[in-house]
Amino acid sequence: MNTPAPEKPIDLLASVGPFRSRLPAVQAYLYPLLSVALVTVVGKIVTPFFDIVNVTLLYVLPVLVAAVRWGLKPSLFASFLGVLAFDFFFVPPVYSFAKADPKDLAVLATFLLVGIVTATMATRLRNEVARTRKEEKRTLALYSLSQRMASKADLDEIAQTFARTAAEAAGGQVSILMPEKGSLVLREVAAHPRRGTRLSEKEQAVVQWVLEHGRPAGRGTETLRKATELVFPAKAGKNTMAALMIDLNEKHEALPSEQAQLVEALANLAAVAITRIRLAQEAERVQWLMESDKLHRALLNSISHDLRTPIASVMGAVTGLLEAESVRNGETTKAFLEMIKEGATRLNRFVANLLDMARLESDTLRLKTEWCDIQDIVGVTLREMHDAVRDRPMRIDIPPDLPLVAADFALIEHVLINLLENGVKYSPPGSEISLTVRTSETALLVTVADHGPLIPEHERDHVFEKFYRLQYSKSTDGTGLGLSICKGIIEAHGGEIWVDPSSGPGNSFTFSLPIREQPSMQAEEEEGERHVV
Amino acid sequence: MSSDAIRIMVIDDEIQIRRVLTVVLTQHGYDVREAASGGEGLSLAATLKPDLIVLDLGLPDIDGVEVLHRLREWTQTPVIILSVREDESDKVVALDAGADDYVTKPFVMGEFLARVRVALRRRAEETDEPVLTFGELTLDLARRLVTVRGEKLKLSATEYEVLKCLATYKGRVVTHAHLLRTIRGRHHHGDSHYLRVYIAQLRRKIEEDPNHPQYIITEPGVGYRLTTTG
Repeated sequence: MNTPAPEKPIDLLASVGPFRSRLPAVQAYLYPLLSVALVTVVGKIVTPFFDIVNVTLLYVLPVLVAAVRWGLKPSLFASFLGVLAFDFFFVPPVYSFAKADPKDLAVLATFLLVGIVTATMATRLRNEVARTRKEEKRTLALYSLSQRMASKADLDEIAQTFARTAAEAAGGQVSILMPEKGSLVLREVAAHPRRGTRLSEKEQAVVQWVLEHGRPAGRGTETLRKATELVFPAKAGKNTMAALMIDLNEKHEALPSEQAQLVEALANLAAVAITRIRLAQEAERVQWLMESDKLHRALLNSISHDLRTPIASVMGAVTGLLEAESVRNGETTKAFLEMIKEGATRLNRFVANLLDMARLESDTLRLKTEWCDIQDIVGVTLREMHDAVRDRPMRIDIPPDLPLVAADFALIEHVLINLLENGVKYSPPGSEISLTVRTSETALLVTVADHGPLIPEHERDHVFEKFYRLQYSKSTDGTGLGLSICKGIIEAHGGEIWVDPSSGPGNSFTFSLPIREQPSMQAEEEEGERHVV
Repeated sequence: MSSDAIRIMVIDDEIQIRRVLTVVLTQHGYDVREAASGGEGLSLAATLKPDLIVLDLGLPDIDGVEVLHRLREWTQTPVIILSVREDESDKVVALDAGADDYVTKPFVMGEFLARVRVALRRRAEETDEPVLTFGELTLDLARRLVTVRGEKLKLSATEYEVLKCLATYKGRVVTHAHLLRTIRGRHHHGDSHYLRVYIAQLRRKIEEDPNHPQYIITEPGVGYRLTTTG
């Protein structure tokens, strides 16, 4: 089986967490300083051509840039620095902080105010945009996760994916727990399990509470906040299907709300996926029950008919014999007795078929495999069927030196009995039945052929179904089980069975048994044994 | 019933089986006693000392093989096992524990009676016989000579051993394990596939039609027996 290519991880982490400047603090303040210096230089250059009021506008630029790139504090720093620079370098008296005109102070104050407001608003805007982008990313990630989940049919795979994703999002160990048949089952654990997979009683209590109430509990919530872990419910509608238990590292007081929201969203997605799978499983089970029910009814019908028929003939013959002497003579008596024997034999075979079917159905068919000589099995079968094939010319064609097959002797015998019985039943009395054995490169092929009416092509596969009766044979007695049992037995051996029109008129049933490597045989001749004369 | 009649004891909890066996065996001149349980059978056997015991494996009180063990503690009287087809391993266990032969329910009376005769013969003829005959098959053990339908057969040493083992059982079933022990005495590992091959070879030499064996009969799951038109 091919292992599917590992799926690309869904990067939810990128969508979580506050935006932080990537630069260390020193640089975050150094760059505003430099940009203010740059503006000062530029200002000095253009002052001869423009009014100094225009220069103030220039000083707004570092504030804006700092707000967008480095955050609130650097931008406030830039604004403050800008005011100082403007005062020092441009406001008369130039190159001093003293002010000649009190109006200038007002200008400076206003400028500072403008700077602060700009910094604050720009930062807020920047954060807003970042947040929106984050949310967009998160929504996309959740969407693609949910799409991926829609195609999965395995509960374990789903639990695995969710646990992993949630562990990334939460930054801690995540365990998924589901109630199954009354007890709590730990489905999946992800992200550096640093402890065992057994739940402590406290943990169990928290999980139980969450499953019952459908609300988060544990650290950072209103319920059971002393617990070391945080448990989220995975809900679909009103039902809580599972619980996500997050084991936070000691340093966390509680899960930041953004991450908590994300985990909650994941939990609900998980719940939907789990519900879907549960429903699918339920549907399968109902389907199976319906099939099973149909089969049981067919079986009861079959048993009722096919058991009663031979019993009826036995009863008839026996009561006939017990009747007063009247019409009896030696021949009639013998005929009655033969009927009883035949009825009993048929009953016995029917029981054998039922037992085989029960074993096949229960899926615990353990083959008693041993090395078998097919000629041996044929010999036993023919002895067993002696009476049934008594009036039929039998042509047996088994070449010498066939390889041994690994098989269950008794079961293959049953297959041959069923095939021969069918051959006798569905072909004209007195017509020949043949049994041929051949080998292919990989298998032993056994063919039972008769001269009965051909099975139509469209029915050739169906004959091997349970209780299937051909259109023209509904009146003949028989279970309709025989061929399906043959198929079950042969397939359990790794072989195949099929029906073809034979070379002569009639049907030819062939089954194959795989030939494995033959066991080693030391030749006697090597040992120099003397032969017995 | 003359006191010389061969005494057979039937131990089976099912009355229908006891009834039909008693009727048929009596018709053939045997003196039949019945026991309906293992316990009853064991105590009855001690007082009656029958010439042959027919023992059902599926007894309600004591396990059939256990009854056999207890019998074998003090008597070598022939025992024929009755069992249902599916319990093949039980039959093998019983045979290894000292049972002489078995019959599977539902059985054919002719077969059953033949096995009774064979088992009784064992008791009667304890002395070693140099020449064993089965229909048209003859084994001269003293001269290591095998003929079938008048013709001498050429057998390998192991084939001869297998045939001889089957023959000395004079029609009783011989388990796979026992046959393998015979072969194992030689150089082979004595795995079951060897046995299959030797039997196939023997059949080709002895049987008129190897597809319809008349001499070497397979008892599925148990072993083989040498008989005449089984």
